[in-house]
Amino acid sequence: MQDMQIDPNTGFLERYSCLQLASNLVEQAGESGQSLAALWIDLDRFKQINESFGYDGGDSIISLIADRLRETIQGDVEIGRIGADEFICFASNIDQDGAEKLGIELLRAIEPPLTMGDLRIRLTASMGIAVLEPEESASEFLERADWSKNTAKKQGGNRYVISGNEPVPSHMGIIQAREDLEVEYLLHTALETGGLQLHYQPILGFNGDVLSVEGLMRCTVNGKNLAPVRFFPVAEKSGLIVRLGEWSLLQGTRQARHLSKAGLGTTVSINVSRGQLSDSGFAEALHAAIILADVEPDLIELELSESLIMDASDTVQANLRNARDIGVSLAIDNFGSGFSCLANLKDIPATKMKLGRAFTMTLPQDRRSMSVVKSMVQLGQDLGMTVIAEGVETKEQMETLRELSVDGIQGYYYARPMDVEALSTWLTDREHS
Amino acid sequence: MSKNDDKVAVSTVQSKRVEGLLESTLNDTGIPSRPAILDRVHIEMEKEEPDLNLLARIISADVALAGGLISIANSPYFGFHGRVRSVNESLMILGLDVACRAIAGLILRKLFPVTLALERFWDASAGIARLSGWLAQHPDIGIKVHANDAYTFGLFRDCGIAVLLHRFPYYHDVLAQANEEKTLSFTQVEEVQCPTNHAVIGSLLAQSWWLPEEICTGIRLHHEYAILQKNDSTLLPPSTRGLIAIAQLAEHIFQHHTGLSKSQEWSKSGEVCMELLEINEEILASLYEEGAPVLARFD
Repeated sequence: MQDMQIDPNTGFLERYSCLQLASNLVEQAGESGQSLAALWIDLDRFKQINESFGYDGGDSIISLIADRLRETIQGDVEIGRIGADEFICFASNIDQDGAEKLGIELLRAIEPPLTMGDLRIRLTASMGIAVLEPEESASEFLERADWSKNTAKKQGGNRYVISGNEPVPSHMGIIQAREDLEVEYLLHTALETGGLQLHYQPILGFNGDVLSVEGLMRCTVNGKNLAPVRFFPVAEKSGLIVRLGEWSLLQGTRQARHLSKAGLGTTVSINVSRGQLSDSGFAEALHAAIILADVEPDLIELELSESLIMDASDTVQANLRNARDIGVSLAIDNFGSGFSCLANLKDIPATKMKLGRAFTMTLPQDRRSMSVVKSMVQLGQDLGMTVIAEGVETKEQMETLRELSVDGIQGYYYARPMDVEALSTWLTDREHS
Repeated sequence: MSKNDDKVAVSTVQSKRVEGLLESTLNDTGIPSRPAILDRVHIEMEKEEPDLNLLARIISADVALAGGLISIANSPYFGFHGRVRSVNESLMILGLDVACRAIAGLILRKLFPVTLALERFWDASAGIARLSGWLAQHPDIGIKVHANDAYTFGLFRDCGIAVLLHRFPYYHDVLAQANEEKTLSFTQVEEVQCPTNHAVIGSLLAQSWWLPEEICTGIRLHHEYAILQKNDSTLLPPSTRGLIAIAQLAEHIFQHHTGLSKSQEWSKSGEVCMELLEINEEILASLYEEGAPVLARFD
């Protein structure tokens, strides 16, 4: 086994060498007829560890876990580090029961709490187990172990799944998966052929002033509209949400500049997802979009969900701080839909709070909703925020919200979302009326 | 048909319309999300029988654009050595796909004011793009990427530098420091003094011009040489790695011949690029020699 590379942090084989080893072991097993099992281990939520303790902290934890794994194995077993937080273990001369037993031992070895500074943390892992089948290639063998590991992960982690024992997807599940793939393909096409658009819905004060406009993404491919409720979940799952988010930043900042140059300057609000804000490159991309558009940052507002703005992770908070530092404002979208601790609300850097449509819909009939809205308006305004009600569709709702001292409203009652040309006309008409 | 014939063929009405098209593209102070003329070319390309005459008229309404395109078609890279004289011929020789990418590069250049530093920068980008397209087809290069993509990647790879030079007067000094830096990466040096770096700006610009995903990703990561290593565990497509390594080699050959745009990038990345492209010092020496005519310009 020459040219095998060792990972200095764990003393295990590195990824590329793991693949080479798999290939050698599969070949030997094929020749000798001995059994071979692969156990693919993926530490759960390790990204959080890296975010909390930095990469150095993450490395020390990986090294500690590696020691525990090494102490657990004996006999014909080899371990490699196949990914940043993933290990693979090959056991020869072992049947499925033996592999399962070894898997349980390895998962148990990972479980005991670790001490990092003042903190004690408990790690878990997801594991996929595959036993080599006759005539199987090394890549098919590894793929099965990887697939089972992913199944374990999808089931919530902290468990093992033996290849072949995965739940068979239902007929509906298969149809859904195929449809999702098609949507993913359409989103890629839209990104490369200009099939995305931002439509804008104005937010108005009760004196008729336009307070801002919210950009809402629309997707059209080959003349076919794809509904946001259909494409957003797929974008989230596939990771495409980051590219879509960057596209929104670019488009929103450019159109803010375009409106401002036309003398119709208004704040443009751009929705930001968890995927984007958890990415350490977000602040750079935001700056880059503002530089490319040549727009004043105070014309840009980022709209985030309640749970996202309350997210305590360092990356999210650093990105939010960075946005505030350059003069971009923050709005909490759909407030009241989450389960935030109100005590934390005083610390968040948002200047606008948007009450979700669930509250507006039942006004003015539902007295309890009235009380809740009244309290939230009071709370938001006491904290120095502008309070907006979303989903306003009727005159009664509008009047009730005015009585409740809401600062502005958004909804079909005043204006539907419209493309940027229609928005320019709408804004111009208002200026002249 | 000569260049002049092309110009005569444009009727007054059409000429006004075309001027409007170009104006909306070029007179905005910001950088357009996608120039209208590229949209027009795209619309024609998607037709079963694209109207080359109409496209030629649109392009010819802008003399610099027409001249630029003819010059590109005459580049030794395409092997027609100075025989192309009209926009129509250029479109036929380059094909609409390459022509569209070449036009994108020319428009990109026109978006910025003419300064000596920027002119040199664009000349370097054009040279690196031609060399990249040529290298992508070279039999000694051990990784396969489309020549058109390699050409486009070379054109757009560093366009973020032009944006930053245009927007921040102090960026000249940052650029000089980044070019001298031996240890830190180029983008790390930028980030010490700027709120972002040219790779992120370039990739966003490329995204907004609807360039393919591999190109946008490649632009964003083109100074992160660790991803070029064979055992890199990121899920980057091989074509993206190939684009980065080919353009890096093209830049090195460009610097070897011209002595311009000197930087420390090859000393940081040369070894890993050569490994990925499966070339050795001997092949590199012959690439220096063979690359020289590709760089020769026909204005």
